[in-house]
Amino acid sequence: MNLIRDAWQSIIRRDPLSTDKGKSELVFLNVWLHIHPAKVKKENLKVKHTFYLGFITFFLFLILVTTGVALMFYYRPDAPHAYQDMKDLQFVVYLGSFLRNMHRWAAHGMVICVFLHMCRVFYTGSYKRPRQFNWVIGVFLFLLTLGLSFTGYLLPWDQLAFWAITVGTNIGSYAPLVGGRIRELLLGGHTVGESALLRFYVLHVAVLPAVATLLTMVHFWRVRKDGGLSRPVWKLKEAKSAELVTIGAPGNGAPLAVVPASKDKTYGLMEVVTGKPIFETVSMEEEEDTVFSYPYAFFREGVALLVTVASVMAVSLFWQAPLEELANPAKTPNPAKAPWYFLGLQELVSHSALLGGVIVPTLAVLALIAIPYIDLTPSRRPADRKWAIRAFTLFVVVNVVLIIVGTFFRGPGWALVPPWVHIVGAE
Amino acid sequence: MKRRSFLSWGTAGLVALWSAVGVSLGAVVRFLTPSVFYEPPQNFKIGNPADFSFGPPTFLAEEKIFVFRDREKGFAVASAVCTHLGCTVGYFQSDERFHCPCHGSVFGSDGTVQHGPAPRPLEWFEVTLARDGQLRVDKDHAVPASYRLMV
Repeated sequence: MNLIRDAWQSIIRRDPLSTDKGKSELVFLNVWLHIHPAKVKKENLKVKHTFYLGFITFFLFLILVTTGVALMFYYRPDAPHAYQDMKDLQFVVYLGSFLRNMHRWAAHGMVICVFLHMCRVFYTGSYKRPRQFNWVIGVFLFLLTLGLSFTGYLLPWDQLAFWAITVGTNIGSYAPLVGGRIRELLLGGHTVGESALLRFYVLHVAVLPAVATLLTMVHFWRVRKDGGLSRPVWKLKEAKSAELVTIGAPGNGAPLAVVPASKDKTYGLMEVVTGKPIFETVSMEEEEDTVFSYPYAFFREGVALLVTVASVMAVSLFWQAPLEELANPAKTPNPAKAPWYFLGLQELVSHSALLGGVIVPTLAVLALIAIPYIDLTPSRRPADRKWAIRAFTLFVVVNVVLIIVGTFFRGPGWALVPPWVHIVGAE
Repeated sequence: MKRRSFLSWGTAGLVALWSAVGVSLGAVVRFLTPSVFYEPPQNFKIGNPADFSFGPPTFLAEEKIFVFRDREKGFAVASAVCTHLGCTVGYFQSDERFHCPCHGSVFGSDGTVQHGPAPRPLEWFEVTLARDGQLRVDKDHAVPASYRLMV
Protein backbone atom coordinates (compact mmCIF):
# COMPACT_ATOMS: atom_id res chain seq x y z
CA MET A 1 0.00 0.00 0.00
CA ASN A 2 2.27 2.71 -1.26
CA LEU A 3 -0.53 5.25 -1.21
CA ILE A 4 -1.16 4.94 2.52
CA ARG A 5 2.56 4.82 3.29
CA ASP A 6 3.17 7.94 1.20
CA ALA A 7 0.30 9.74 2.85
CA TRP A 8 1.56 8.79 6.31
CA GLN A 9 5.06 9.94 5.46
CA SER A 10 3.71 13.25 4.18
CA ILE A 11 2.22 13.84 7.64
CA ILE A 12 5.01 12.41 9.82
CA ARG A 13 8.22 13.56 8.19
CA ARG A 14 10.70 12.73 10.92
CA ASP A 15 13.05 9.78 11.28
CA PRO A 16 11.93 6.91 13.54
CA LEU A 17 11.87 7.75 17.24
CA SER A 18 14.36 4.99 17.95
CA THR A 19 17.09 7.26 16.59
CA ASP A 20 18.46 10.43 18.23
CA LYS A 21 17.79 12.30 14.98
CA GLY A 22 14.16 11.21 15.09
CA LYS A 23 13.82 12.33 18.71
CA SER A 24 15.20 15.74 17.80
CA GLU A 25 13.06 16.05 14.69
CA LEU A 26 9.94 15.18 16.67
CA VAL A 27 10.50 18.44 18.54
CA PHE A 28 11.67 20.85 15.91
CA LEU A 29 9.57 19.66 12.96
CA ASN A 30 6.38 19.97 15.03
CA VAL A 31 4.75 23.34 15.42
CA TRP A 32 3.16 22.41 18.78
CA LEU A 33 6.27 20.90 20.33
CA HIS A 34 9.00 23.15 19.00
CA ILE A 35 8.73 25.58 21.93
CA HIS A 36 10.66 22.82 23.72
CA PRO A 37 14.37 22.34 23.21
CA ALA A 38 15.32 18.97 21.69
CA LYS A 39 17.20 18.19 24.89
CA VAL A 40 16.50 19.44 28.41
CA LYS A 41 18.59 19.56 31.54
CA LYS A 42 17.87 16.70 33.90
CA GLU A 43 17.43 18.92 36.95
CA ASN A 44 14.74 20.96 35.22
CA LEU A 45 12.54 17.87 35.18
CA LYS A 46 12.68 17.41 38.95
CA VAL A 47 9.36 18.15 40.64
CA LYS A 48 10.87 19.74 43.73
CA HIS A 49 12.66 22.42 41.69
CA THR A 50 9.56 24.04 40.19
CA PHE A 51 6.61 21.96 41.47
CA TYR A 52 5.49 22.22 37.79
CA LEU A 53 3.40 25.25 38.83
CA GLY A 54 3.80 27.03 35.49
CA PHE A 55 2.70 23.92 33.63
CA ILE A 56 -0.23 23.36 35.98
CA THR A 57 -1.34 26.98 35.51
CA PHE A 58 -1.21 26.56 31.73
CA PHE A 59 -3.12 23.26 31.90
CA LEU A 60 -5.80 24.90 34.06
CA PHE A 61 -6.05 27.61 31.40
CA LEU A 62 -6.59 24.88 28.78
CA ILE A 63 -9.33 23.32 30.94
CA LEU A 64 -10.94 26.75 31.30
CA VAL A 65 -10.94 27.36 27.55
CA THR A 66 -12.39 23.93 26.83
CA THR A 67 -15.13 23.97 29.48
CA GLY A 68 -15.77 27.68 28.81
CA VAL A 69 -16.48 27.07 25.12
CA ALA A 70 -18.78 24.18 26.11
CA LEU A 71 -20.73 26.45 28.48
CA MET A 72 -21.07 29.10 25.76
CA PHE A 73 -23.31 26.73 23.79
CA TYR A 74 -25.99 27.09 26.47
CA TYR A 75 -25.49 30.61 27.81
CA ARG A 76 -27.11 33.86 26.64
CA PRO A 77 -25.60 37.05 28.07
CA ASP A 78 -28.76 39.07 28.64
CA ALA A 79 -30.55 39.77 31.88
CA PRO A 80 -33.70 37.69 31.67
CA HIS A 81 -31.91 34.69 30.14
CA ALA A 82 -28.51 34.51 31.79
CA TYR A 83 -29.81 33.26 35.13
CA GLN A 84 -32.31 30.88 33.49
CA ASP A 85 -29.48 29.41 31.44
CA MET A 86 -27.46 28.88 34.62
CA LYS A 87 -30.41 26.98 36.06
CA ASP A 88 -30.67 24.95 32.86
CA LEU A 89 -26.96 24.13 33.07
CA GLN A 90 -27.48 23.10 36.66
CA PHE A 91 -30.55 20.92 36.23
CA VAL A 92 -31.33 20.22 32.56
CA VAL A 93 -28.22 20.18 30.40
CA TYR A 94 -26.42 16.82 30.28
CA LEU A 95 -23.13 17.24 32.23
CA GLY A 96 -24.01 20.94 32.58
CA SER A 97 -23.35 21.31 36.28
CA PHE A 98 -20.22 19.15 36.03
CA LEU A 99 -18.77 21.39 33.31
CA ARG A 100 -19.71 24.51 35.24
CA ASN A 101 -18.10 23.07 38.39
CA MET A 102 -14.93 22.31 36.43
CA HIS A 103 -14.88 25.83 35.02
CA ARG A 104 -15.39 27.41 38.44
CA TRP A 105 -12.88 25.25 40.36
CA ALA A 106 -10.25 25.43 37.61
CA ALA A 107 -10.59 29.25 37.71
CA HIS A 108 -10.01 29.33 41.47
CA GLY A 109 -7.13 26.88 41.02
CA MET A 110 -5.57 29.05 38.35
CA VAL A 111 -5.58 32.13 40.62
CA ILE A 112 -3.86 30.07 43.34
CA CYS A 113 -1.34 28.44 40.97
CA VAL A 114 -0.38 31.73 39.29
CA PHE A 115 0.31 33.17 42.72
CA LEU A 116 2.32 30.13 43.88
CA HIS A 117 4.23 30.15 40.58
CA MET A 118 5.11 33.80 41.20
CA CYS A 119 6.32 32.90 44.70
CA ARG A 120 8.48 30.06 43.33
CA VAL A 121 10.02 32.35 40.72
CA PHE A 122 10.70 34.98 43.35
CA TYR A 123 12.26 32.71 45.97
CA THR A 124 14.55 31.03 43.42
CA GLY A 125 15.62 34.46 42.14
CA SER A 126 14.59 33.46 38.64
CA TYR A 127 13.55 36.99 37.67
CA LYS A 128 17.15 38.16 37.55
CA ARG A 129 19.06 39.08 34.39
CA PRO A 130 18.26 38.21 31.62
CA ARG A 131 14.73 37.29 32.74
CA GLN A 132 13.63 40.67 34.15
CA PHE A 133 11.07 41.45 31.45
CA ASN A 134 9.60 37.97 31.56
CA TRP A 135 8.79 38.59 35.23
CA VAL A 136 6.94 41.75 34.15
CA ILE A 137 4.96 39.74 31.57
CA GLY A 138 4.22 37.30 34.37
CA VAL A 139 2.80 40.08 36.54
CA PHE A 140 0.53 41.13 33.66
CA LEU A 141 -0.59 37.50 33.22
CA PHE A 142 -1.43 37.46 36.94
CA LEU A 143 -3.54 40.62 36.51
CA LEU A 144 -5.21 39.11 33.42
CA THR A 145 -6.06 36.00 35.44
CA LEU A 146 -7.75 38.21 38.04
CA GLY A 147 -9.52 40.15 35.26
CA LEU A 148 -10.80 36.93 33.69
CA SER A 149 -12.03 35.72 37.07
CA PHE A 150 -13.69 39.05 37.82
CA THR A 151 -15.50 39.33 34.46
CA GLY A 152 -16.59 35.69 34.70
CA TYR A 153 -17.97 36.31 38.18
CA LEU A 154 -20.83 38.48 36.88
CA LEU A 155 -22.07 36.05 34.24
CA PRO A 156 -24.30 33.80 36.43
CA TRP A 157 -26.33 36.97 37.20
CA ASP A 158 -27.19 35.84 40.72
CA GLN A 159 -27.05 37.89 43.93
CA LEU A 160 -23.44 36.88 44.57
CA ALA A 161 -22.42 38.04 41.08
CA PHE A 162 -24.41 41.26 41.06
CA TRP A 163 -23.18 42.63 44.37
CA ALA A 164 -19.60 41.48 43.99
CA ILE A 165 -19.40 43.38 40.70
CA THR A 166 -21.28 46.41 42.09
CA VAL A 167 -18.76 46.67 44.92
CA GLY A 168 -15.80 45.82 42.66
CA THR A 169 -16.55 48.41 39.99
CA ASN A 170 -17.31 51.08 42.59
CA ILE A 171 -13.81 50.57 43.98
CA GLY A 172 -12.48 51.46 40.51
CA SER A 173 -14.52 54.67 40.43
CA TYR A 174 -12.42 56.02 43.32
CA ALA A 175 -9.42 56.36 41.00
CA PRO A 176 -8.73 60.10 40.65
CA LEU A 177 -9.93 61.88 37.47
CA VAL A 178 -10.55 58.81 35.29
CA GLY A 179 -12.26 56.50 37.82
CA GLY A 180 -15.87 57.37 37.03
CA ARG A 181 -15.18 57.31 33.30
CA ILE A 182 -13.53 53.89 33.47
CA ARG A 183 -16.49 52.52 35.41
CA GLU A 184 -18.93 53.93 32.84
CA LEU A 185 -16.92 52.40 29.96
CA LEU A 186 -16.69 49.04 31.74
CA LEU A 187 -20.38 48.90 32.65
CA GLY A 188 -21.74 50.66 29.57
CA GLY A 189 -23.99 52.53 32.01
CA HIS A 190 -24.18 53.95 35.50
CA THR A 191 -25.25 50.80 37.33
CA VAL A 192 -24.65 47.08 36.85
CA GLY A 193 -27.27 46.23 34.25
CA GLU A 194 -27.78 44.53 30.90
CA SER A 195 -25.05 46.41 29.08
CA ALA A 196 -22.61 45.57 31.87
CA LEU A 197 -23.46 41.89 31.51
CA LEU A 198 -22.84 41.99 27.76
CA ARG A 199 -19.57 43.90 28.14
CA PHE A 200 -18.26 41.54 30.81
CA TYR A 201 -19.22 38.60 28.60
CA VAL A 202 -17.32 39.93 25.58
CA LEU A 203 -14.29 40.71 27.75
CA HIS A 204 -14.51 37.29 29.38
CA VAL A 205 -14.88 35.10 26.28
CA ALA A 206 -12.98 37.07 23.64
CA VAL A 207 -10.82 40.02 24.61
CA LEU A 208 -9.08 38.85 27.79
CA PRO A 209 -8.49 35.23 26.67
CA ALA A 210 -6.94 36.51 23.43
CA VAL A 211 -4.60 38.87 25.28
CA ALA A 212 -3.74 36.16 27.83
CA THR A 213 -2.95 33.70 25.02
CA LEU A 214 -0.64 36.19 23.30
CA LEU A 215 1.20 37.05 26.52
CA THR A 216 1.48 33.36 27.42
CA MET A 217 3.17 32.72 24.08
CA VAL A 218 5.65 35.52 24.71
CA HIS A 219 6.20 34.25 28.27
CA PHE A 220 7.03 30.71 27.07
CA TRP A 221 9.15 31.96 24.17
CA ARG A 222 11.28 34.03 26.52
CA VAL A 223 11.73 31.14 28.96
CA ARG A 224 13.03 29.10 26.02
CA LYS A 225 15.29 31.88 24.72
CA ASP A 226 16.72 32.46 28.20
CA GLY A 227 17.94 28.89 28.35
CA GLY A 228 14.92 27.03 29.63
CA LEU A 229 13.71 26.95 33.20
CA SER A 230 16.11 28.64 35.57
CA ARG A 231 18.23 26.03 37.31
CA PRO A 232 18.39 25.59 41.07
CA VAL A 233 21.00 27.81 42.59
CA TRP A 234 22.94 24.92 44.14
CA LYS A 235 23.52 23.44 40.70
CA LEU A 236 25.22 26.56 39.39
CA LYS A 237 28.96 26.17 39.25
CA GLU A 238 31.49 28.86 39.98
CA ALA A 239 32.79 30.37 36.76
CA LYS A 240 36.31 29.17 36.13
CA SER A 241 38.90 31.80 35.36
CA ALA A 242 40.25 29.85 32.44
CA GLU A 243 42.80 31.05 29.97
CA LEU A 244 41.33 32.57 26.86
CA VAL A 245 41.89 31.54 23.29
CA THR A 246 41.26 33.52 20.17
CA ILE A 247 39.37 31.92 17.35
CA GLY A 248 38.95 32.84 13.74
CA ALA A 249 41.75 35.28 13.08
CA PRO A 250 42.68 34.64 9.48
CA GLY A 251 45.84 36.46 8.43
CA ASN A 252 45.87 39.99 9.76
CA GLY A 253 42.12 40.15 10.23
CA ALA A 254 40.50 40.88 13.56
CA PRO A 255 39.62 37.84 15.72
CA LEU A 256 36.02 36.69 15.56
CA ALA A 257 35.78 35.87 19.24
CA VAL A 258 37.76 35.32 22.40
CA VAL A 259 36.48 32.39 24.43
CA PRO A 260 37.68 30.45 27.51
CA ALA A 261 39.93 27.53 26.69
CA SER A 262 38.39 24.34 28.01
CA LYS A 263 37.05 21.09 26.77
CA ASP A 264 33.74 22.87 26.16
CA LYS A 265 32.46 23.09 22.62
CA THR A 266 32.04 26.48 21.03
CA TYR A 267 29.49 26.87 18.28
CA GLY A 268 29.36 29.83 15.97
CA LEU A 269 26.33 30.94 14.05
CA MET A 270 27.60 31.82 10.60
CA GLU A 271 25.21 33.81 8.52
CA VAL A 272 25.34 36.14 5.62
CA VAL A 273 24.75 39.18 7.74
CA THR A 274 26.89 42.06 8.80
CA GLY A 275 27.97 42.41 12.39
CA LYS A 276 29.72 40.08 14.78
CA PRO A 277 29.02 36.38 14.51
CA ILE A 278 27.22 34.83 17.49
CA PHE A 279 29.22 32.34 19.50
CA GLU A 280 27.78 30.11 22.13
CA THR A 281 29.85 27.99 24.45
CA VAL A 282 28.29 24.79 25.71
CA SER A 283 29.91 23.20 28.71
CA MET A 284 30.62 19.52 28.14
CA GLU A 285 29.60 18.84 31.74
CA GLU A 286 26.26 20.49 31.08
CA GLU A 287 25.88 18.54 27.88
CA GLU A 288 26.18 15.32 29.85
CA ASP A 289 23.42 16.49 32.22
CA THR A 290 20.82 16.69 29.46
CA VAL A 291 18.29 14.19 28.18
CA PHE A 292 16.09 14.17 25.10
CA SER A 293 12.76 15.98 25.55
CA TYR A 294 11.19 12.90 24.01
CA PRO A 295 10.28 10.96 26.02
CA TYR A 296 11.56 12.34 29.35
CA ALA A 297 10.09 15.87 29.39
CA PHE A 298 6.94 15.04 27.42
CA PHE A 299 6.13 12.11 29.70
CA ARG A 300 6.38 14.28 32.82
CA GLU A 301 4.33 17.08 31.26
CA GLY A 302 1.73 14.51 30.24
CA VAL A 303 1.56 13.22 33.81
CA ALA A 304 1.19 16.78 35.13
CA LEU A 305 -1.64 17.39 32.63
CA LEU A 306 -3.43 14.20 33.61
CA VAL A 307 -3.06 14.88 37.33
CA THR A 308 -4.39 18.43 36.85
CA VAL A 309 -7.41 17.33 34.80
CA ALA A 310 -8.15 14.43 37.15
CA SER A 311 -7.94 16.69 40.23
CA VAL A 312 -10.31 19.28 38.76
CA MET A 313 -12.73 16.51 37.75
CA ALA A 314 -12.60 14.92 41.20
CA VAL A 315 -13.26 18.24 42.95
CA SER A 316 -16.12 18.95 40.50
CA LEU A 317 -17.77 15.64 41.29
CA PHE A 318 -18.01 16.36 45.01
CA TRP A 319 -18.34 20.14 45.31
CA GLN A 320 -21.00 22.20 43.57
CA ALA A 321 -20.25 25.68 42.28
CA PRO A 322 -22.50 28.10 44.20
CA LEU A 323 -25.52 29.70 42.56
CA GLU A 324 -27.62 32.05 44.66
CA GLU A 325 -31.00 33.54 43.84
CA LEU A 326 -31.58 35.86 40.87
CA ALA A 327 -29.78 39.22 41.00
CA ASN A 328 -31.90 41.77 42.88
CA PRO A 329 -30.60 45.36 42.69
CA ALA A 330 -32.95 46.40 45.49
CA LYS A 331 -31.69 43.94 48.09
CA THR A 332 -28.06 43.84 49.15
CA PRO A 333 -27.16 40.54 50.83
CA ASN A 334 -25.57 40.96 54.23
CA PRO A 335 -22.61 40.68 54.23
CA ALA A 336 -21.95 41.38 50.53
CA LYS A 337 -18.58 39.90 49.67
CA ALA A 338 -16.38 40.18 46.60
CA PRO A 339 -14.78 36.99 45.15
CA TRP A 340 -12.31 35.54 47.70
CA TYR A 341 -9.19 36.72 45.83
CA PHE A 342 -10.51 40.29 46.13
CA LEU A 343 -11.47 39.97 49.81
CA GLY A 344 -8.05 41.28 50.87
CA LEU A 345 -8.81 44.29 48.71
CA GLN A 346 -12.32 44.57 50.18
CA GLU A 347 -10.80 44.40 53.67
CA LEU A 348 -8.59 47.37 52.78
CA VAL A 349 -11.54 49.14 51.16
CA SER A 350 -13.61 48.73 54.33
CA HIS A 351 -11.13 51.10 55.97
CA SER A 352 -10.63 53.57 53.11
CA ALA A 353 -11.82 53.28 49.53
CA LEU A 354 -9.26 55.63 47.96
CA LEU A 355 -6.25 54.55 50.01
CA GLY A 356 -7.12 50.86 50.34
CA GLY A 357 -8.93 50.36 47.06
CA VAL A 358 -6.80 52.38 44.66
CA ILE A 359 -3.52 53.70 46.07
CA VAL A 360 -2.25 50.62 47.96
CA PRO A 361 -3.11 48.09 45.20
CA THR A 362 -1.62 50.33 42.50
CA LEU A 363 1.60 50.72 44.48
CA ALA A 364 1.68 46.96 45.14
CA VAL A 365 1.39 46.15 41.42
CA LEU A 366 4.02 48.76 40.50
CA ALA A 367 6.33 47.31 43.17
CA LEU A 368 5.84 43.80 41.76
CA ILE A 369 6.67 45.03 38.26
CA ALA A 370 9.73 46.91 39.52
CA ILE A 371 11.24 44.00 41.51
CA PRO A 372 13.72 42.82 38.85
CA TYR A 373 14.84 46.40 38.17
CA ILE A 374 15.33 47.31 41.85
CA ASP A 375 16.88 44.05 43.05
CA LEU A 376 20.11 44.21 41.08
CA THR A 377 22.26 41.80 43.08
CA PRO A 378 23.23 39.13 40.57
CA SER A 379 23.34 36.40 43.22
CA ARG A 380 20.39 34.06 43.50
CA ARG A 381 21.58 32.50 46.76
CA PRO A 382 19.04 33.10 49.58
CA ALA A 383 21.88 34.14 51.91
CA ASP A 384 22.74 37.07 49.61
CA ARG A 385 19.18 38.35 49.30
CA LYS A 386 17.82 38.39 52.82
CA TRP A 387 16.05 41.75 52.51
CA ALA A 388 14.39 40.93 49.19
CA ILE A 389 13.11 37.66 50.65
CA ARG A 390 11.87 39.36 53.83
CA ALA A 391 10.01 42.07 51.88
CA PHE A 392 8.37 39.60 49.51
CA THR A 393 7.43 37.25 52.36
CA LEU A 394 5.80 40.18 54.16
CA PHE A 395 3.81 40.94 50.98
CA VAL A 396 2.65 37.32 50.70
CA VAL A 397 1.75 37.01 54.40
CA VAL A 398 -0.20 40.30 54.44
CA ASN A 399 -2.15 39.20 51.36
CA VAL A 400 -2.99 35.79 52.79
CA VAL A 401 -3.96 37.18 56.21
CA LEU A 402 -6.21 39.87 54.69
CA ILE A 403 -7.93 37.29 52.48
CA ILE A 404 -8.45 34.92 55.45
CA VAL A 405 -9.87 37.75 57.58
CA GLY A 406 -12.18 38.88 54.77
CA THR A 407 -13.34 35.34 54.01
CA PHE A 408 -13.83 33.82 57.46
CA PHE A 409 -13.90 36.64 60.01
CA ARG A 410 -16.32 39.13 58.49
CA GLY A 411 -20.00 38.77 59.30
CA PRO A 412 -23.14 40.87 58.73
CA GLY A 413 -22.41 44.59 58.47
CA TRP A 414 -18.75 43.66 57.93
CA ALA A 415 -18.37 43.22 61.69
CA LEU A 416 -15.53 41.06 63.01
CA VAL A 417 -17.14 37.69 63.71
CA PRO A 418 -15.12 34.52 64.23
CA PRO A 419 -16.22 31.68 61.92
CA TRP A 420 -17.18 29.43 64.86
CA VAL A 421 -19.84 31.90 66.08
CA HIS A 422 -23.23 31.37 64.51
CA ILE A 423 -25.39 34.45 64.19
CA VAL A 424 -29.06 33.69 64.56
CA GLY A 425 -31.22 35.34 61.93
CA ALA A 426 -28.29 36.40 59.77
CA GLU A 427 -28.97 36.26 56.06
CA MET B 1 13.51 62.85 -5.20
CA LYS B 2 15.21 65.80 -3.64
CA ARG B 3 16.39 65.66 -0.03
CA ARG B 4 14.17 68.61 0.94
CA SER B 5 10.99 67.16 -0.55
CA PHE B 6 11.78 63.71 0.89
CA LEU B 7 12.04 65.21 4.38
CA SER B 8 8.89 67.30 4.11
CA TRP B 9 6.82 64.47 2.61
CA GLY B 10 8.25 62.10 5.19
CA THR B 11 7.37 64.44 8.06
CA ALA B 12 3.90 65.01 6.68
CA GLY B 13 3.46 61.25 6.33
CA LEU B 14 4.53 60.56 9.92
CA VAL B 15 2.27 63.32 11.27
CA ALA B 16 -0.63 61.93 9.23
CA LEU B 17 0.08 58.38 10.44
CA TRP B 18 0.21 59.32 14.13
CA SER B 19 -2.84 61.58 13.78
CA ALA B 20 -4.72 58.64 12.30
CA VAL B 21 -3.63 56.44 15.21
CA GLY B 22 -4.74 59.10 17.71
CA VAL B 23 -8.08 59.71 16.03
CA SER B 24 -8.69 55.96 15.84
CA LEU B 25 -7.99 55.53 19.55
CA GLY B 26 -10.37 58.39 20.31
CA ALA B 27 -12.98 56.77 18.08
CA VAL B 28 -12.59 53.46 19.94
CA VAL B 29 -13.18 55.16 23.30
CA ARG B 30 -16.15 57.08 21.90
CA PHE B 31 -17.53 53.88 20.34
CA LEU B 32 -17.41 52.15 23.73
CA THR B 33 -19.21 55.08 25.39
CA PRO B 34 -22.95 54.48 25.05
CA SER B 35 -24.91 57.27 23.34
CA VAL B 36 -28.16 56.06 24.87
CA PHE B 37 -28.60 54.65 28.36
CA TYR B 38 -31.48 52.21 28.73
CA GLU B 39 -31.73 52.87 32.44
CA PRO B 40 -34.57 53.86 34.75
CA PRO B 41 -35.40 57.61 34.54
CA GLN B 42 -33.80 59.92 37.10
CA ASN B 43 -36.96 62.03 37.32
CA PHE B 44 -40.12 60.10 38.22
CA LYS B 45 -43.41 60.16 40.13
CA ILE B 46 -43.80 58.04 43.25
CA GLY B 47 -47.53 58.40 43.98
CA ASN B 48 -49.90 60.58 45.95
CA PRO B 49 -48.85 62.17 49.27
CA ALA B 50 -51.63 60.29 51.02
CA ASP B 51 -49.98 56.97 50.04
CA PHE B 52 -47.16 57.61 52.50
CA SER B 53 -47.49 57.06 56.21
CA PHE B 54 -46.05 59.13 59.03
CA GLY B 55 -43.29 57.66 61.16
CA PRO B 56 -40.52 55.45 59.74
CA PRO B 57 -39.53 56.18 56.13
CA THR B 58 -41.01 54.18 53.22
CA PHE B 59 -38.39 52.26 51.19
CA LEU B 60 -38.96 52.18 47.42
CA ALA B 61 -36.81 49.26 46.23
CA GLU B 62 -36.95 49.91 42.49
CA GLU B 63 -36.00 53.58 42.84
CA LYS B 64 -33.62 52.96 45.76
CA ILE B 65 -34.96 55.85 47.85
CA PHE B 66 -36.40 56.41 51.31
CA VAL B 67 -39.44 58.69 51.56
CA PHE B 68 -39.74 60.49 54.91
CA ARG B 69 -43.04 62.02 55.96
CA ASP B 70 -43.26 64.17 59.03
CA ARG B 71 -46.43 65.80 60.47
CA GLU B 72 -44.84 69.21 60.99
CA LYS B 73 -42.06 69.30 58.43
CA GLY B 74 -43.41 67.46 55.39
CA PHE B 75 -41.74 65.26 52.77
CA ALA B 76 -38.04 64.48 52.20
CA VAL B 77 -36.41 61.86 49.97
CA ALA B 78 -33.06 60.23 50.79
CA SER B 79 -30.93 58.03 48.56
CA ALA B 80 -30.60 54.39 49.65
CA VAL B 81 -27.27 54.03 47.83
CA CYS B 82 -24.29 53.94 50.18
CA THR B 83 -21.74 56.61 49.26
CA HIS B 84 -18.92 54.14 49.89
CA LEU B 85 -19.33 51.44 47.24
CA GLY B 86 -22.94 51.58 46.13
CA CYS B 87 -24.59 48.92 48.27
CA THR B 88 -28.20 49.50 49.31
CA VAL B 89 -28.49 50.70 52.91
CA GLY B 90 -31.31 49.67 55.25
CA TYR B 91 -33.16 51.86 57.79
CA PHE B 92 -33.31 50.36 61.27
CA GLN B 93 -36.11 51.67 63.43
CA SER B 94 -34.44 50.31 66.57
CA ASP B 95 -31.70 52.96 66.47
CA GLU B 96 -33.20 55.25 63.79
CA ARG B 97 -30.11 55.00 61.59
CA PHE B 98 -29.13 53.69 58.14
CA HIS B 99 -26.82 50.65 58.08
CA CYS B 100 -24.84 49.51 55.04
CA PRO B 101 -24.47 45.70 54.83
CA CYS B 102 -21.28 45.75 52.78
CA HIS B 103 -18.67 47.51 54.88
CA GLY B 104 -20.54 48.56 57.99
CA SER B 105 -21.09 52.26 57.29
CA VAL B 106 -23.73 53.83 59.57
CA PHE B 107 -25.63 57.02 58.71
CA GLY B 108 -27.81 59.07 61.05
CA SER B 109 -31.44 59.73 60.14
CA ASP B 110 -30.28 63.04 58.61
CA GLY B 111 -27.86 61.09 56.37
CA THR B 112 -24.62 62.12 58.08
CA VAL B 113 -21.86 59.53 58.42
CA GLN B 114 -21.63 58.29 62.00
CA HIS B 115 -19.45 55.24 61.55
CA GLY B 116 -17.51 53.29 58.91
CA PRO B 117 -15.70 54.04 55.66
CA ALA B 118 -18.40 56.07 53.81
CA PRO B 119 -16.77 59.31 52.61
CA ARG B 120 -19.94 61.45 52.24
CA PRO B 121 -23.39 61.65 53.82
CA LEU B 122 -26.32 60.02 52.02
CA GLU B 123 -27.75 62.19 49.25
CA TRP B 124 -31.11 63.95 49.51
CA PHE B 125 -33.16 64.50 46.37
CA GLU B 126 -35.56 67.25 45.44
CA VAL B 127 -39.19 66.23 45.82
CA THR B 128 -41.94 68.42 44.32
CA LEU B 129 -45.65 68.23 43.71
CA ALA B 130 -46.54 67.43 40.10
CA ARG B 131 -49.58 68.98 38.41
CA ASP B 132 -51.62 65.82 38.87
CA GLY B 133 -51.04 65.99 42.62
CA GLN B 134 -48.43 63.21 42.72
CA LEU B 135 -45.01 63.51 44.33
CA ARG B 136 -42.16 63.88 41.84
CA VAL B 137 -38.55 62.99 42.70
CA ASP B 138 -35.58 64.34 40.73
CA LYS B 139 -32.43 62.28 41.37
CA ASP B 140 -30.36 64.68 39.27
CA HIS B 141 -31.19 67.46 41.68
CA ALA B 142 -29.49 67.04 45.07
CA VAL B 143 -30.77 69.18 47.94
CA PRO B 144 -29.54 69.85 51.50
CA ALA B 145 -30.72 67.46 54.21
CA SER B 146 -32.91 70.22 55.64
CA TYR B 147 -35.03 70.39 52.44
CA ARG B 148 -38.72 69.65 53.05
CA LEU B 149 -41.83 69.71 50.87
CA MET B 150 -44.92 70.85 52.76
CA VAL B 151 -48.14 69.41 51.38
